[in-house]
Amino acid sequence: MDFSWLFPPAINDMAKQVDSLFWFIASIAVFIFVLVEMLLFIFLVRYRRKRPDKQGIALHGNTKMEIIWTLIPALILVAIGVFGSQMTYAIQTPPKDVYTINVTGYKWRWDFDYPEGFKTTNKLVIPEDKSVLFKITSGDIVHSFWIPSMRLKQDAVPGRQTQFWTGPSEKGEYPIVCAEYCGTMHSMMLAKLNVVSTEEFDKFVQSGGKAGGSAADGAGGEGQTLAEQKGCLSCHATDQNKLVGPGWGGMFGKDVKLSDGSTVKYDEKYIIESIIDPAAKTPEGYSPMPPQQVTEEEAKAIAEYIKTLK
Amino acid sequence: MGTVATADVKKPSFVRDWLLTVDHKKIGIMYGVVCLLFFFLGGAAALVIRTELLTPGMPDVVPQADMFNQMFTMHGSIMIFLFMIPMLTAAFGNYLVPIMIGAHDMAFPRMNNLAFWLFVLGGFVFLSSLYFGMPDIGWTAYPPYSIESAGLGLDIWVLGVHILGLSSILGAINIIVTVFNLRAPGMTFNRLPLYVWSSLITAFIQLFGTPALAGAITTLLFDRHFGTHFYDASAGGDPMLYQHLFWFYSHPAVYIMVLPAMGIVSEIIPVFARKPIFGYHAIAYSSIAIGFLGFLVWAHHMFVAGMPLATGIPFMVTSMIIAVPSAIKIFNWLATLWRGSNWFTTPMLFVTVGFIGMFTIGGLGGIFLGTVPVDIHMHDTYFVVAHFHYVLFGGSMMAVLGGLFYWLPKMTGRMYSEKLGKTVFWMYFVGTNLTFFPMHYIGMMGMPRRVFQYDPANGMQIANQIASFGSYLVGAAAIMMVVTIIVSLRSGAKAPANPWGAQTLEWTVSSPPPEHNFIEMPYVTAPPYEFGEAEEQYTPKKSFGA
Ligand code: HEM
Ligand SMILES: [Cu+2]
Repeated sequence: MDFSWLFPPAINDMAKQVDSLFWFIASIAVFIFVLVEMLLFIFLVRYRRKRPDKQGIALHGNTKMEIIWTLIPALILVAIGVFGSQMTYAIQTPPKDVYTINVTGYKWRWDFDYPEGFKTTNKLVIPEDKSVLFKITSGDIVHSFWIPSMRLKQDAVPGRQTQFWTGPSEKGEYPIVCAEYCGTMHSMMLAKLNVVSTEEFDKFVQSGGKAGGSAADGAGGEGQTLAEQKGCLSCHATDQNKLVGPGWGGMFGKDVKLSDGSTVKYDEKYIIESIIDPAAKTPEGYSPMPPQQVTEEEAKAIAEYIKTLK
Repeated sequence: MGTVATADVKKPSFVRDWLLTVDHKKIGIMYGVVCLLFFFLGGAAALVIRTELLTPGMPDVVPQADMFNQMFTMHGSIMIFLFMIPMLTAAFGNYLVPIMIGAHDMAFPRMNNLAFWLFVLGGFVFLSSLYFGMPDIGWTAYPPYSIESAGLGLDIWVLGVHILGLSSILGAINIIVTVFNLRAPGMTFNRLPLYVWSSLITAFIQLFGTPALAGAITTLLFDRHFGTHFYDASAGGDPMLYQHLFWFYSHPAVYIMVLPAMGIVSEIIPVFARKPIFGYHAIAYSSIAIGFLGFLVWAHHMFVAGMPLATGIPFMVTSMIIAVPSAIKIFNWLATLWRGSNWFTTPMLFVTVGFIGMFTIGGLGGIFLGTVPVDIHMHDTYFVVAHFHYVLFGGSMMAVLGGLFYWLPKMTGRMYSEKLGKTVFWMYFVGTNLTFFPMHYIGMMGMPRRVFQYDPANGMQIANQIASFGSYLVGAAAIMMVVTIIVSLRSGAKAPANPWGAQTLEWTVSSPPPEHNFIEMPYVTAPPYEFGEAEEQYTPKKSFGA
């Protein structure tokens, strides 16, 4: 049975189980809600005052009733607690041989370290048929690693390792979100989860994390993918909006005023230099961008992309 | 000469009469006015947030992302520290507690005045951040972000919270001592009005909880300026320590914001139902249970904060247990309405259709969040925002407004217009539901809280827009409320001593009451809700249920 309307698609067994626990609680909640609202409505209407001096009945209490309506909610809550506890243990305990990926949150991107020794940013690719264990930490402040389609979330805490694991999942592309407030660009700390077939995953691993992305088409397509994956877009808007850094839209070919008062042309050379050596020339009104892990090659592609932005 | 005699009874100046007053009623009214001003400020920030969220993309109404973050920080901090807590404990508590127990004033009248001015000072310090740079750390101020957050914002915020905490502790001590020592003869604990019961327990929560908060934010300040490393993981500290301390205060704090509200509901229902409250003792003692258990559930805010998941299980259990006393109260209120003679005044609408109707939704939402596997998905999303606004807005706020209209004739000596009052109610009721109900869905679909950008797919934008329009309606209701109060002050009919036919002591004196409340010491001979006719005289058409 598909319990997923009201939720993003549930892509594995655990998510489906969480959904069924949700609906179990929801059915009890709806029952209690309807009961309370009905009684409220009926009593208010049926016993509304008809004469100004009319009194109600002098009834102070009824011990039997009170015991009943204390015990029934208590028993219902115990039942919810029992189911909840069982599932909690299941979510916590990973199976023996899982594929482990280390996840690190930074302001404002996610890095994924694969056991084969390569790393991706904002692009998480996993095979559809394996259990995967995520070991999560943070490189700066507290973030929270949330995959809504798996119903799983754990905070990324500096100096601590948290984890969750997931069984085989359905192929597709799903969002990854940061759920713990982490400052200026918290809203844009987004990544992509790609669940792929085993063959595709092997290709991805052999290419050292290059394959398996969702390459955009058209001019600057490669640059766009890079900009997304390297986390550039969590600080730079693709239009003219000012975020942490200046917006990219419509800049190409214009003059930029720098913080030392000089001006420089916003061309390919300037863009590449700014990426490789951010402190060299800072535009007026901004502080220098932290160093990025982008090669000159990649910077070139990103410059191509910026050229296309209006 | 004839004028000599009147010279020494000339009217005291405004400063002496109000600002320096030690009269608990005037202090209560001053608290109320200042709190409502803050409510409007916090509300304005909320409307900015909701307007930003009309569209899924970049910040478009606030000039930049940081400003959005400052808005929700100010909204949350103001609503909790400058509105809801002082409104329920200090404004209502000051006005009602002494007069309801037959005392002439608070036990420490001068300390009462001091607490009020500390509150004003704390609020002023808070707001000075408009000038010095607003904090952008959320009302929870989790480190390490709060430690590295630039500017003076957080320092001012901490200073403000300290001053407010001091004020709140002084107020709590005053209430505790007053209730224990100044009850009129015959006012036993079993005859205490239920609002006084709830205030007393709330005061104990404030007294025991606030120091934990003070500890948490002081260490934060040390880390920022004095080179300590309480929360710096690279030097052996631990950011989670802060969260434990913070929630050890702040979960009980949600009960500081809800117990007095429940007290107000328990005052109003029996009066307008003309029935004794059903299960007086159950209602009073369930508050004690809540006060106690409130300190044992804090880690349900931290299920996914880095503890092993199974560590959450004891807190799941306590969170479930604490739902029971709240349920008991709901059923008792319903039973009080059963076979009553229910009079639909504005206060009655606020506490029945408003409080009971909407608090139920908030409480049921809490059950989802208290269940670890479900909370893993819901934590820090708009579902949580929906949950606590149903509790605080649908619950506490409805009680505040109900109480405001209920005691307004007593405080001002003027009746308000029922027509205007009911309009305010329906605007609030519809607006609140429009605003917060869609947020359950928004959160479940994957929208975290504290974001200015969201996924436009899945009807998310439509739901967000409904919420935003709902919030405008709430804003209009707030303005309407002020209009109603002003109209009542200017042209309301003169209020008799006891317009509702209530039995608590504040209604035995004139409206407004004289200084020192009682000319003669009252002597209490009966419990406060002795309404109703015996079964034989009562003439129902058909009995309902049992
Ligand atoms: C009765 C008065 C209550 C009030 C005033 C209240 C208020 C709040 C507030 C303000 C938050 C937000 C904290 C944040 O910033 O994350 C919250 C979260 C929460 N509440 Fe309540 N609550 C109440 C009752 C309950 C009950 C009865 C339960 C459990 C059955 C509950 C369970 C939770 C949980 C688990 C969270 C954390 C959710 C999360 O962050 O994922 N609450 N509540
Ligand atoms: Cu983050």
